[in-house]
Amino acid sequence: MRLTVAASWVEGPLRQLVADARLELGVLLHPSGQVLGQFGFARSVDVMTACALAAATHASSAELGRMLEGQPFTGVHYVGATRQFWRATVPTTSTPLILFAVFDEESSLGLVQLFFRQFCEAVAALAPAADAEPAALAENFESELNRNLAVMFGRA
Amino acid sequence: MTSPFTAVLGSLIRHRGVSGCLVVGERDGMIVEANLQIGVKGDAIAALSASLYRKARRSALAAGFGEAGFFELTADGGRVCAVGRNELVLVVIGEPGVNVGIIRVEMLRALELFQ
Repeated sequence: MRLTVAASWVEGPLRQLVADARLELGVLLHPSGQVLGQFGFARSVDVMTACALAAATHASSAELGRMLEGQPFTGVHYVGATRQFWRATVPTTSTPLILFAVFDEESSLGLVQLFFRQFCEAVAALAPAADAEPAALAENFESELNRNLAVMFGRA
Repeated sequence: MTSPFTAVLGSLIRHRGVSGCLVVGERDGMIVEANLQIGVKGDAIAALSASLYRKARRSALAAGFGEAGFFELTADGGRVCAVGRNELVLVVIGEPGVNVGIIRVEMLRALELFQ
């Protein structure tokens, strides 16, 4: 399993989650779409696409939740023919992160949710404070994204 | 609110040494209905025992033994018993000294509910 990260503190919890929950591929990202870690992807363009789509669906489902229940939906589970995905909010002391994870019949939603809770606890303990790692700003978003992808795919 | 499983779970939990019983989806590991003593981590037991049962069932099939029957895991501090049918698993957890014989009969009888 190829797992690479743009922020070193992410690696331990992400590696543990992937191993415990038998995840196939996925990304951990900032709600802006900025990638923090990935596993199972071979090409940076696929990571970029997954991040963009995960961030977009997170934003739209959060807004749907606000409209329906007054608070954002924090998780989405989709069951396909052979694969499923779980996209959920990872709370931190600063900006919440998003996990998008794909798994097959070797795992299950129950297992993923179980180990996701442990992952959230580990991330909450390790995540840097808000001012230590500022979120990507609009003007440098692309360069930050490219830098992170280059770090993860060995072109830095 | 009662389901087809409420009565059998209510009966199983009354056995001496049983600390929890659950009906769990075999594929998703999610609880359908459970009767648990306070402090029992239902979500974790459901997810992990469904995964164990699924893999045991697949192992039995791969070995050419046919469908799995009764599954029992014995640990230092307790037992996990499971039976399943039609993508549902009935799980019972309890102390090491629990009367597995009676529980096994009741669990296998309860499989009729999973038709």
